[in-house]
Amino acid sequence: MRESIVIEGLSKYYDSFLALDNLSLKVKKNEDVALLGPNGAGKTTALKLLCGLLHPSSGTAYINGVNVMEERERAISMVGTMLETPEFYPFLTPVETLSYLGRLRGMSGQGLKSRIEEVIKLVRLEGWAKVRIGKFSRGMKQRLALAQTLLHDPPILILDEPALGLDPRGMMEVREILKKAKKKKTVFLASHLITEVVQVCDKVALIDHGHLLVYDSIPRLKRKYRTSLEGVYLKLTEAAI
Amino acid sequence: MSEFEKLKIVTKYELLKQFRRRRFYGALVLTLLAVILIIALYKGLDIPGKLSPLISDSPELFALFVTSAGATIPIFAAVFFAGDSIASEFEHKTGYILFPNPVKRSTFVVGKYIACLTVTSLIVIFAYVATVIALVGIYQQLPIEVFGSLALALVYANSVLGIAFLYSSALKGSMGATIATLLTIMLVFSVIEVSLIFANIDPWFMHGYAGDSIASVYGVPFAAAFGGGMPGGMERNPDPTTSFFVMLGYFIVPFILSIWLAKRREML
Repeated sequence: MRESIVIEGLSKYYDSFLALDNLSLKVKKNEDVALLGPNGAGKTTALKLLCGLLHPSSGTAYINGVNVMEERERAISMVGTMLETPEFYPFLTPVETLSYLGRLRGMSGQGLKSRIEEVIKLVRLEGWAKVRIGKFSRGMKQRLALAQTLLHDPPILILDEPALGLDPRGMMEVREILKKAKKKKTVFLASHLITEVVQVCDKVALIDHGHLLVYDSIPRLKRKYRTSLEGVYLKLTEAAI
Repeated sequence: MSEFEKLKIVTKYELLKQFRRRRFYGALVLTLLAVILIIALYKGLDIPGKLSPLISDSPELFALFVTSAGATIPIFAAVFFAGDSIASEFEHKTGYILFPNPVKRSTFVVGKYIACLTVTSLIVIFAYVATVIALVGIYQQLPIEVFGSLALALVYANSVLGIAFLYSSALKGSMGATIATLLTIMLVFSVIEVSLIFANIDPWFMHGYAGDSIASVYGVPFAAAFGGGMPGGMERNPDPTTSFFVMLGYFIVPFILSIWLAKRREML
């Protein structure tokens, strides 16, 4: 299987509002693709459809060849996800939360325990591992969300604005983690932060008002439009308004 | 890993969640206070004396009075724990972490239900233990019917859970689900039941009427005990066996609907 993610004619209406219009794209194994676009472009809708959290109005999607709409559980077993601003049960600690999510994914015993320690260290929450999440700031929850995404070492990461809510140091740390992770994984990331996209991804799918405007590698886009990625973004999204 | 294994994990962590919440301990305290208050009123106002000579004081009358006056305990306990069980995953966005896991939505619903049933049952059992202690302390007797009443109270609580889960799956907010459950059980069902009674139709299939079996199981006639017959000379004396199945129905139908709704619901 060469493609990790295949999206075929995916559309989504919220009542009469068309949030995503016939989106089709393929993400090859170990490719790192950003879904770039302004607020309300349809990025989060696309990711939610891909994770089976929304029902498409039409179209379908595959993860590692498994149809998400027909076999959701099998499809997302290969994925680590981080969607919207994550929230956790405030009564549990990070260790308990990760233990819960890890067990749901078939992890157990010493293997799970040491992996929890590893990911908690990776996102720098060591001092907070046994503190109830109710006391956490938004940035700390974002770090924990990243930890749960990486917990089961999935081959595919689906991330929605992974650095949202983090301070500059936190943003830098998250990007470093993703840069390391992308060497062995397929990353499909939604963002409107061009700096983040340039640092983490090789290819960009630019969408606006639910339409796919362009899908290509960053160097090719720069060459084609003879400008920076920011220039490409401004040129194409302005044209779409 | 089988879906059953996943169900065990969901239930375990849902239970942990419930036991970590202050509301469980708050419910225990309130239950104890309610039982103490009811016993104090029974003795302080000399309820058996007021009912005399129609009926004389007995452990059965005491147990009937305490457990039937406390029949709202299963309602509040079930609504307390189940109202936000599904709705909060959407309202507080915790579903974004929970649902993108390779677990069926129905497994999450069933796991949450088992956890809610466990904590609700603990509250109901606690109320009965307090009643039993009072019975033994006051009368040095323990009518066997108390256990039948407890079993029916648990089935009743279970039926409330089914209704609460239905609203929790269907409505956006936890508060809305909680209020809708209480209004349905305490207002809508009651209005329908009273209307049926006035229309001279035996309301054996109504939720509240079936719930009265918690008290009728003691064998003390309601009309004699509380002076309240029903229009048309009907006896308000629900049959425990029929009531058991009625309450089971009030659990099964809403709960199946709740699973169906939760499976279809989108994380918007």
